[in-house]
Amino acid sequence: MKYAFYPGCVARGGTPELLVSANAVLDRLGIEREEIVSASCTGAGVLQERNQKLGDTLNVRTFALAEKMGAPIMTLCSTCQGVMSQANRRVLKDPEYLTEINEVLAEEGLEYKGTTVIKHLLWVLVEEIGIEALQKTFTKELSGLNFAPFYGCYIVRPSDALGFDEHPERQTSLETVIESTGATAVENDGKTKCCGLPILLINQSNAIQMVSNHTGEAKDLGADAMVTPCPLCHLNLDGYQPKAAKRRPSGKIDLPILHLPQMLGLAMGMQPKELGLQRHIISTKEVVAKAIAAPAVAVS
Amino acid sequence: MYQHDVLIIGAGLAGLRASVEAARMGVDAAVISKVHPIRSHSNAAQGGINAPMTDRGDDWEGHALDTIKGSDYLADQDAVELMSREAGDAIIELEHMGVIFSRNEDGQLGTRRFGGQKVARTFYVGAITGSAMLQVLYEQAVKLDVNIYEEWFVSNLIIEDGVCHGVMAMNIHTGELHMIRAKAVIMATGGAGRVFEPSTNALICTGEGLGLAYRAGAPLMDMEMIQYHPTTLAGSGILLSEAARGEGAYLLNSEGDRFMKTYAPDYLELASRDVVSRSEQTEINEGRGIDGNVHLDLRHLGRTFIEERLGYLQEVAVEFVGIDLAEAPIPIRPGMHYIMGGIKTNTDGATEVPGLYAAGETANVSVHGGNRLGANSLLDTVVFGRRSAIAAAEYAKNADRHSSDEAMLKSEQQRYQDLMDRPADLRAAAVRRDMGESMVAGVGVFRDQESIDAATQRMKELRAVYPRVAVDNKGKVFNTDLMSAIELDYMLDVAKAVCAGADARKESRGAHFRTDMPNRDDENWLKHTLVYKDGDGSRVETSDVTITDWTPIERVY
Amino acid sequence: MQQTLRVNRYDPENPGAAGYQEYTVEVTDTTTILDALLTVREEMDGTLSMRCSCRASICGSCAMRVNGQAKLVCKTRVNSVSPDGATITIDPAGNLPVIKDLVVEFKPFWDKMKAIKPYLLPEGTVPKAEYIASDEDMVHLVGVVNCIQCGACVSDCSVLEVDDSFLGPAALAKAYRFVKDPRDGHQKDRLDALNESSGVWDCTRCMQCVEVCPKDVDPMGRIMLMRDMAMESGFNNTSGSRHTESFAKSVKKNGRLNETKLAVDSMGMFNVPAMLDSAPVGIRAMMKGKFPWKAHKSSEPDKVKRVFEKVEGE
Repeated sequence: MKYAFYPGCVARGGTPELLVSANAVLDRLGIEREEIVSASCTGAGVLQERNQKLGDTLNVRTFALAEKMGAPIMTLCSTCQGVMSQANRRVLKDPEYLTEINEVLAEEGLEYKGTTVIKHLLWVLVEEIGIEALQKTFTKELSGLNFAPFYGCYIVRPSDALGFDEHPERQTSLETVIESTGATAVENDGKTKCCGLPILLINQSNAIQMVSNHTGEAKDLGADAMVTPCPLCHLNLDGYQPKAAKRRPSGKIDLPILHLPQMLGLAMGMQPKELGLQRHIISTKEVVAKAIAAPAVAVS
Repeated sequence: MYQHDVLIIGAGLAGLRASVEAARMGVDAAVISKVHPIRSHSNAAQGGINAPMTDRGDDWEGHALDTIKGSDYLADQDAVELMSREAGDAIIELEHMGVIFSRNEDGQLGTRRFGGQKVARTFYVGAITGSAMLQVLYEQAVKLDVNIYEEWFVSNLIIEDGVCHGVMAMNIHTGELHMIRAKAVIMATGGAGRVFEPSTNALICTGEGLGLAYRAGAPLMDMEMIQYHPTTLAGSGILLSEAARGEGAYLLNSEGDRFMKTYAPDYLELASRDVVSRSEQTEINEGRGIDGNVHLDLRHLGRTFIEERLGYLQEVAVEFVGIDLAEAPIPIRPGMHYIMGGIKTNTDGATEVPGLYAAGETANVSVHGGNRLGANSLLDTVVFGRRSAIAAAEYAKNADRHSSDEAMLKSEQQRYQDLMDRPADLRAAAVRRDMGESMVAGVGVFRDQESIDAATQRMKELRAVYPRVAVDNKGKVFNTDLMSAIELDYMLDVAKAVCAGADARKESRGAHFRTDMPNRDDENWLKHTLVYKDGDGSRVETSDVTITDWTPIERVY
Repeated sequence: MQQTLRVNRYDPENPGAAGYQEYTVEVTDTTTILDALLTVREEMDGTLSMRCSCRASICGSCAMRVNGQAKLVCKTRVNSVSPDGATITIDPAGNLPVIKDLVVEFKPFWDKMKAIKPYLLPEGTVPKAEYIASDEDMVHLVGVVNCIQCGACVSDCSVLEVDDSFLGPAALAKAYRFVKDPRDGHQKDRLDALNESSGVWDCTRCMQCVEVCPKDVDPMGRIMLMRDMAMESGFNNTSGSRHTESFAKSVKKNGRLNETKLAVDSMGMFNVPAMLDSAPVGIRAMMKGKFPWKAHKSSEPDKVKRVFEKVEGE
């Protein structure tokens, strides 16, 4: 299947290693994709707080572009996924509202009919590619590694916008994918909680306390790294971890925060540089070394 | 040692309305409640509050007549007149305080129709009218900085020489027992639904206010008048508001017939509650029920209407029985809901015990008589809550404050200790359930001498085993086990009083329908029953109903 | 069917015995978690303390955590949580101190309610009859009045977990009810107060409150609307409002977000301490090749800009 690819702003901006690693992994998986180049930002919930209709119109524009391409949207970001899912639910529930929005888009010659499916890479892996097919691309058995899942709010809430009724497996999809590599998913309280990024620039102390709580907890539970499908979580959990560490009794945390495709890339035996793993604030050296030292997948 | 001029027990609508009035008068008043005010059971009132608004063409006499007719002429007409006359101001006052009543196209308050009335004079907030009013009265209490003892359990009154001087209460958080002296006490403890099983009432509706007043010497009046609401869920007994029928829902039997046309051709589903409940029970008894229920059908109202105007009903239906009201009819049956009877008061809330006042469901003024109209209970709480505060404050001005009597506190402490020291034997919950089921069986929608006698006998037996009720929890902090045991003590008194009233009233009137005496007997029974505590037992007296302008005639709907 | 409940017990008079205790009760398809807990309390173990009253999701007494998530247990059926009969873990509500077992201290909750002046404050002459207002202006407030103050949102709020000074979702939803009431005369003062720290801008938009609210009150949505109202009322000089404005500007200009510019704008050009404070992170990020100073753009930024103009011009 071909996807209308929507990498999102942060994969191009604050976390370029996400796009690099995602492209490497998607190529390995042989996933055909075409970027929706003229798409805008989703608004990330921030624009919506100023003007919900504005945010919805921008997203519906993206849905219409994908509809034209005849392809489902693939996202790389929990926040993009959630904001788009919510916008899609709102317009599908209220045809009059959709008509209003389509009137704005008509100037550009666009109309959204309501058929676009939006799926994060994480869901694509579990629901479309399938764990078995995914595992066929792995060359390393990451047994012995412990990864703490960290979802990001918008890919778990509000649950009724995210198709959990139809796809209950989405609620544990990250653990499923982690365990498919042979690694252990470290159950942690913070995994569906907020990373703090949305208030980083408003109430930094609270944001950093969240980073400290979540990364500190995962570290204490023996995680080698945290794995997240959300680049916004990554920005905060990685970038602000040195500050957050000061709030731990030990004064340090040193928990690498991997983007989901980076973990997959390691299991596929890719080079750390191909995955941008040198670009992190918290050094990934130890976890990378462990992955490289991991046994090869037994050929059956 | 705590003391106030006026102490209000209970923080539902009647108690909070009283507290607001007392605060406005500048009286040293306090409220004491075993739950936070917002948790009070007034929040469960769904459908609305009645008021004849004279400025828009309704007249108070119309509301008074409907109320009196609904009561089967047992209501005291002077009290009803007062309530009907004060209703309009009460609604406007609530609106000014902040209640978000539904509005009409002109931006004025809108109304819906309720049972036993032809005029749409019920003001409402969706299907959460009680909750919305309770929030606003609590807001006003906060604004006026009313002193509230939150989560304190009153287990006894301070009665000296037949006069009420305050309460003894346990701080539930610490388990400590305290005396709270007050020159006047207002009982606003709500109903006693948990004396019955099942009941629409909350678990806190244990009626100890009735028991406390009864033991203090105040008579309980017309206790046989128990309202069985026509639309409750089987099993849990959870309520589905009359607002459903007010907005046009049908009642259907197993044959799909709107059977109310047989029983109340003019008012149909909106006949008074006692009439509708009896009709349903008759259908069920005669084999036209559906597994012991009949159907409430809202489908023709449409999804949007249901969700906008009756959202809470839809929530209850979906969550508790998995039925979407827009898609399917819901099985319902009559269920114990309200007690018209209560502590006898005059129109100022005064009981026969000096210093003790009562308002709301726990009181009997009497404005509901043999059957309360839907949406009259909220009106009762605010009108008489206010009036009782004024009267209690006035009384307190001239009353003496008694010094503390430590012996009384010691004796109450001993009562707690005895319960705690009892070896494990019977659980309060088991006795309560037995009591509740026996009461529904004996003094239900239909009753006769035999069933009343059986319930009376069972209550005697349960009273006899009460000394064996023990508590598991020996701790002090948040000991709900101990509270349940004390509540049960009072509940057994309330149950006995209901049986005594039912036994005494040798006729059928309102909710008291005896199959062995199916007719109303105005010649002998245009009377209130009064149950007094008498030594270890009780005695029943009667008093005349106050009739002013409305002569009792046959009740037809 | 049998169902095992694993209940978090705590007795301040015997803190050493704290921990989980298991109870197995008989349940049916319609048994709620509250029914099951009542069976425990009434038939098995009277020492278990909890608050509960109406059994019908209107009194707000029984919010607690079920398998880690706040729920009103009276409206939560056992089989909806555990269709396969797996043990269900019951903990007291979070973010409030435990008094005993499943009972938590609500005083901080009520104190925050009181802090937002939770009562109507009309201005001017009081009309003789009711205030005239359109049903449209009033009826949407019923969505907030639906709040039964059960504390589920407070239990699971991300911000309260790290900062107990935050007013929190319940009190802020209550504030919205007055801010939007056409009868209230103090909208501006209220917004001014909510604009302070611990107010509307401290919400992280994590949607925990939206997810766990048993009455669909949508506290976060209300908070977002109040942010917008605060900005419209001219309260623009908070890092929160600058954040939103800068975000919008960036997307309007490039079709995409420029995170670096966002940071500078949010903190305020003249907020030197805050700028210095985040400088090390910025420098570290730049050295790692992050935070490009040059904005990436949509291929058709003009079309995005046009959407802004059209929708915002409405």
